[in-house]
Amino acid sequence: MKILTRIAGSRLAALSLIVGGGIYTLVIPVFAGTLGANPLEALLHRSGEIAIWTLGAVLSLTPLRVLFPGAQIVAALNRHRRAIGVSACVYGLLHFTAHVLYEGGWEGLQRSLSKPFIWYGLVGLSILVILAATSNQFSIRKLGGRNWKGLHRLAYIAAALLIYHQAIAGKGHWQIARWLLFPLAALQVARVTKMLLRKPVRISAFNQNVRHVAKKTITTTVSSDTSMRAMNNTPQGNRVNAC
Amino acid sequence: MRRREFLRLLGFGVAVTAVLPASLAAASFPDSINPEYKLNGVKLTPEDLVTSYNNFYEWGTSKDQPKDQANRGWKTESWTIEIAGLCASPRKLLVDELIQLVGGIERRNYRHRCVEAWSMVIPWDGFPLKKLIDLAQPTSEAKFVKFISFLDPANCPAQRANELPWPYTEGLTLAEASNELAFLATGLYGKPLRNQNGAPIRLVVPWKYGYKSAKSLVKIEFVAEQPPTTWNVILPNEYGFYANVNPNVDHPRWSQKSERVIGGGFFSGKQPTLMFNGYEKQVSHLYAGMDLRKNF
Repeated sequence: MKILTRIAGSRLAALSLIVGGGIYTLVIPVFAGTLGANPLEALLHRSGEIAIWTLGAVLSLTPLRVLFPGAQIVAALNRHRRAIGVSACVYGLLHFTAHVLYEGGWEGLQRSLSKPFIWYGLVGLSILVILAATSNQFSIRKLGGRNWKGLHRLAYIAAALLIYHQAIAGKGHWQIARWLLFPLAALQVARVTKMLLRKPVRISAFNQNVRHVAKKTITTTVSSDTSMRAMNNTPQGNRVNAC
Repeated sequence: MRRREFLRLLGFGVAVTAVLPASLAAASFPDSINPEYKLNGVKLTPEDLVTSYNNFYEWGTSKDQPKDQANRGWKTESWTIEIAGLCASPRKLLVDELIQLVGGIERRNYRHRCVEAWSMVIPWDGFPLKKLIDLAQPTSEAKFVKFISFLDPANCPAQRANELPWPYTEGLTLAEASNELAFLATGLYGKPLRNQNGAPIRLVVPWKYGYKSAKSLVKIEFVAEQPPTTWNVILPNEYGFYANVNPNVDHPRWSQKSERVIGGGFFSGKQPTLMFNGYEKQVSHLYAGMDLRKNF
């Protein structure tokens, strides 16, 4: 378990998985010629699927943290939320590039823009781009912790749009979307229920704590994993990130 | 010359005798191309792509699955097909017998346009559907033809999982079915149909989107009313009964103005889609006065 936690918390392991997964499913098959009869379509679908799964992964981290505050492996995985979130955006952009190529350039792209199906994806991806662009200490400082957090809650809107985009992409089947939607929804329900079951007294304490830690995050501008550790040391610290 | 002909005949005879008990369908090859349907100057889609990129949901929802899934012991030899409904001469017979009754097979190169905006050009082997209709002699009440694919949940995983209302069912008006282009394919590239392409007998309606061309048929029925058809039942706003290839009527999720040619590279782009998939001359009279936007 300890080794597992160490691997889960390892930056190298996380990056190899995120980048290596892309190389294995998108880059190597291009050169090996194993993408089948419609290779660009294969790239289009694969990049989209990786993007949506990656987004699902990052969105499961916070609820898991709230539900299992003591679990070291969850805390370890939470170290990678920024990397995972940014890579969801990068894979989304690859997906968009494949779409432009598939449509054969500008004219085809324009035609595709008349479809709501494309807009669900495009708006969702635009949100991811904004969030990825502000996923750095500079933006947190500039915007202020509260604003930054509010902005990054747009991730839920992006997720809703993108999961819907994925769901209607299939011809009457939505295997991937349901495997994302139901677990994510269940995690959120469990997380909200847990938070609601907490005593009101502790909620006010929680609010103070939010302010306290938020200030601390801004002033110290430590890297995300050390700030996470700092939060872990405060009694309700784990809830600060719970959004 | 004579000697060569004699040898060829001899060879053919030997081949026929050798395969006769197993499959008459195989023996109907080699066939020759019908010169009316050569599609001069059009490049055929390579055989390995035609047989590895298939929408055949009975064998999985991704295009590469049917080639694998439909070839795990699924038997399509000694296949019987039923001709039924409002006709003077209903019957149930082996596909091989049917081929003999209609006088053998011919080859036609047809454009194939999928509703998903990709296309191929395929050399089919088979016979005009009209020949089967003449054999069946539909009565005057018959207005539509219903095509029913196989139902075999025991050997077919997707049919057990029940993702679509099986069996796959399609339909044409009797006038459409009697059109010279409507074709029953029993082969592809001069060989019997591969399982993933709808062995041993399938419909080919080249001026309509691919989903109209039902595969692995077990029954062709003459009916009075428009039959419910699989994709139209599942998603009526996306897949119409007529499903004529039409660049001016979009799918709700994508444009139908252009299509990706299977076999092109990463940067090949798309080519313009033709009205009725290029078969306007042969079929447009079937839809005279009809609002194709409404009857999509």
